[in-house]
Amino acid sequence: MKLKPTTQNGEWHWLTGGIVVSLLSIATYVLFEKLSYKDYPFGITAGIAYIAANFKYLFSSLAQNPVIQNNLTSPAAFVEFFMLFGIIIGAYLGAKQSKNYKPEVIPAIWEKYHGPNVWKRFAVVLVGGFCLGLGTMLAVGCTTGNILQGWAHLSLGSMVAGACFFIAGIIVAKILYPKTGGR
Amino acid sequence: MILQIIIGIAIGLIFGYALQRTGVTKYPRVTGMLLLKDFKILKFMLTAVTFSMIGFYTLGSLGVIELHPKPLDWGKVVGGLIFGIGMGLLGYCPGTLIARIGEAKKDAWVGLLGMVLGILFFAVNVKFFKTTLMTKNINGDISVVLGINQWVIVPIAALVFIGIIYLANKVDDFKKNF
Repeated sequence: MKLKPTTQNGEWHWLTGGIVVSLLSIATYVLFEKLSYKDYPFGITAGIAYIAANFKYLFSSLAQNPVIQNNLTSPAAFVEFFMLFGIIIGAYLGAKQSKNYKPEVIPAIWEKYHGPNVWKRFAVVLVGGFCLGLGTMLAVGCTTGNILQGWAHLSLGSMVAGACFFIAGIIVAKILYPKTGGR
Repeated sequence: MILQIIIGIAIGLIFGYALQRTGVTKYPRVTGMLLLKDFKILKFMLTAVTFSMIGFYTLGSLGVIELHPKPLDWGKVVGGLIFGIGMGLLGYCPGTLIARIGEAKKDAWVGLLGMVLGILFFAVNVKFFKTTLMTKNINGDISVVLGINQWVIVPIAALVFIGIIYLANKVDDFKKNF
């Protein structure tokens, strides 16, 4: 086991990344609790749900929906909405700084196995995104909420949810890339 | 209001930067993990989980914070599986999806649109889901469910996590992109 802060390709060691994120995760939780945003410890979903909630201005039938109302009035959802901007800026700065900033439409490995058709990738991504959105609402949290936070709290619900993320994810990945199954 | 905006951006900034620099936002990494070929994300994640677990339980014992373990219901199972399908198709999870937008990967925008639609679908059908999948739930506090003191469970969990990290690291010693 090498314990250097960065690896050869300029990436942080997983230990470095893990410690930074754990400190951030704890600090965020304490902060949210002090500001009494009890229901939403550190997550991404609520921020995206905040965007979804604003669709009530397009479709008036959504205005009375409890999920929409909840996400529009929750202060934590508001904070997490701005977290999204932070993540975008942070990832941009990280990519620029490590000279990894390479805009692309579809991932290179996808193109290698599934061809350069942009619409094919977009269709799969749209369905995938839909599944992420629906799944995250049903499971009350995404990878950040259920694993980074939920596993760290040893929540029974998050343990099961996280295990299900991987079970389904592994099956779908094997279907998408069948030839890479054996080494 | 301004404070909330600043807090949100600051937290996100550190998170996005750390995700990007650790390299866990890369498409081959997420899919590579699901193909059981590249365990860096798993090692990174479990490191974060182990340290935060010790932090949360210590602060909880000291009375600084109150832990809110998430209860178990069918939504966790069904939603978890649907989420996993999405993660497999997309090659990102929601956090890395947002980070990918910052890295100028255009398909991430389509993924975000999909997520918004998925959330709206849930919102529109919330009555159905709340009365079917999300009704009965089991207490999420594992030490209450098992009836064991949390300070017995935390070290055991830490050892399990570290064990998995150790095994994953053994497998991971050579570099591969699928």
